[in-house]
Amino acid sequence: MTGRSSSNLILGLCCVAFAALVLFVWIPLDSASGIVQQVRRHLTIGDGLAPTVAAVFVLIGGLVLVLVERNEPAQPRISGGNIRFIGIVIGILIASLLVMRFAGPVTVYFASFLTGDHLEYRLLRDTWPWKYVGYLLGGTMMIAGLIAQIDGRLTVRSLAISVLAVLVLIAVYDLPFDDLLLPPNGDV
Amino acid sequence: MGVLDYIWLGILAVFQGPVMFSVFGLPVSVTLVMILCGFLLGIAVGATPGLAGPMAMAISLPILISVFGYSETALLPVLGFLIGIMKGATIGGAVPAILFNTPGTPDSYMTTFDGYPMAKKGQAKKALRIAHFASVSGDTFSDVVLIVCAPFLAILVEAYLDLPEKTALLILSLSFIAVVIGGSPAKGLLSAGLGLLAVYVGTGEDFYPRLSMGSQHLAQGFSITTAVLGVLIIGAVFKSLEDLWHEKRAKGVIAEIKDIGDQRLHKEDIRRLVPYIARSAVIGTVIGALPGIGSTLAATLGYTVGRARYQKMKLPTDPEFGAGAPEGIAATEAANSSVSGANLIPVLSLGIPGNAAAVFLILAADSIGGFNPGPSVFRFTADAVNPELVIAFGLFTAMFIANALNWTIGGVFMRSMGVMIRIPKHILLPIVLLLTLTAIYVQETRLEAIGFTLAFGLLGYFMRLLAISPLPFVIAFILGGKLEESARQAFAATGGDPFFLFTSPVALVFMLMALGIILYSARKHRGTE
Repeated sequence: MTGRSSSNLILGLCCVAFAALVLFVWIPLDSASGIVQQVRRHLTIGDGLAPTVAAVFVLIGGLVLVLVERNEPAQPRISGGNIRFIGIVIGILIASLLVMRFAGPVTVYFASFLTGDHLEYRLLRDTWPWKYVGYLLGGTMMIAGLIAQIDGRLTVRSLAISVLAVLVLIAVYDLPFDDLLLPPNGDV
Repeated sequence: MGVLDYIWLGILAVFQGPVMFSVFGLPVSVTLVMILCGFLLGIAVGATPGLAGPMAMAISLPILISVFGYSETALLPVLGFLIGIMKGATIGGAVPAILFNTPGTPDSYMTTFDGYPMAKKGQAKKALRIAHFASVSGDTFSDVVLIVCAPFLAILVEAYLDLPEKTALLILSLSFIAVVIGGSPAKGLLSAGLGLLAVYVGTGEDFYPRLSMGSQHLAQGFSITTAVLGVLIIGAVFKSLEDLWHEKRAKGVIAEIKDIGDQRLHKEDIRRLVPYIARSAVIGTVIGALPGIGSTLAATLGYTVGRARYQKMKLPTDPEFGAGAPEGIAATEAANSSVSGANLIPVLSLGIPGNAAAVFLILAADSIGGFNPGPSVFRFTADAVNPELVIAFGLFTAMFIANALNWTIGGVFMRSMGVMIRIPKHILLPIVLLLTLTAIYVQETRLEAIGFTLAFGLLGYFMRLLAISPLPFVIAFILGGKLEESARQAFAATGGDPFFLFTSPVALVFMLMALGIILYSARKHRGTE
């Protein structure tokens, strides 16, 4: 979205404030050494210098935005529509990742309950079919959810494409390699 | 070992590497096959609107590393594949630009101006042939310049620049990249500053990992993969998805294109096109050699210069530029393709990546190990073999093999790729998203990495919304560690001189140039408002 707005001024002021916060609060409180330090009678560069240079870049950028580019004719800005869109996308992604993370252990829990065997997902995470449960369900939900967001509706076709795409990814990343773990099997 | 010995070893490393299969008793090396596969994939990816070379490079890298491992023998097949993608994507981008008025890659946008009108007049195949010929000519010229210039520049850097000068050169490069990429110097500096800040989280020499806020998750810092893929790829996917969301109901009908008349490229055509190709190749190569200035600017300049010449030379019956002039396609494609080889000059001679494709080459070299692009590569050791130099000449060989493929089979394959436009972007992009996240997970094996990648993706998305180029962020992230290390060494070597960046004349000139370029760009920007 473009148009005459004060977004450069707002962005510039935010950058100056952020740079000041980094320079005067974050770096001093969160680095063990300052800009320079004395080590065995030698002066050396401390851990604080490099982030200070980074913050100075942000500060200069902010100041140039405020002082020089404040009145630029076309200033893109972030609208409510942008926030709504990305909010939905992030919601879909978080939900899909949660399904990916917990679908396998939950399935194993129910399988254990039904069969009476003592099954543990951590021990089964590199065995078929358990290792694919989370990725298949979470991955399908992610792809189908995002397609549905653009289409405005969830269709059987998009669901089928999503399942197929995840199966192809499994074939690409998992079947040929013994040493690769699909998500979430490295964490559980 | 002389220069010729090293060149020969580089060629042998490509042709005599691990054998994949034999044809009539002749062994075919894995590197050759990988260059071919990368090249074909690159054309397909370039011909698919919504995908781009760097995306394919990002997704392929973990698979390639899984296949080839982390040994030195993995370097040439992996880098060869990535070079193949880089070159293939450059020519592939012209396909949808000519056939469907949709640029496959941003730098082929100006190809649509004359390519699509030619296609509508029934000259689609001829337009594709012109694009291919111009693209390959520009690319080959650029590679020759790379091979001649990069070693000399690297030797000069090693011979004349000490630690303070190298630090000042890195600051100059970062400032230059920050102010020239995108339309706003301020936003470029902001992007570079954020990239530096991100790379310094959780790193440093003290026992306590700086800027980690006491968190174990931040203590390890952000991996280069999560930052680069997040900001460059995931950010682009988010933005493209949103664009599709807005454009959902504004569907156009794709006109059917039929070929009419002679579609061949004759000697007379080539004679007419060569002056345009030559000018654009020089423009693209010069622009490509400067880190950070992309192929889109090269294409724009090449097109503008070509148009000026065309106005003087054209016959009254010839179409105008923008109305189906073959010279317009040639000027654009030669310029944007000649950037790719020259872009590797700052990578190989200074270790500074100038564009997204170079970022992924550095990422691959960094992941595998055994090859650190930079001036130290070009040490022509006489008594022992410098393996990095052999790899460098192997890379040059790979580039020429990719060019040979481009001259021979590239055109045919390119002309068959029109079908890629039919892949719907709104289905492709979510798959690319999951593919990228999976690629990151199989490398890092922790969901936390996916979280960081999505966070960087959000940053990349908002940067795009605010017209802040993400490339300075990525380049600063890659160079940040090197900048700090070089400054620490220079400071120690000068006995703790706080003005070490200003005492040597060369370093002083670099620092003044850095300051000058920021002030000049800001002032020029104010003047253009």
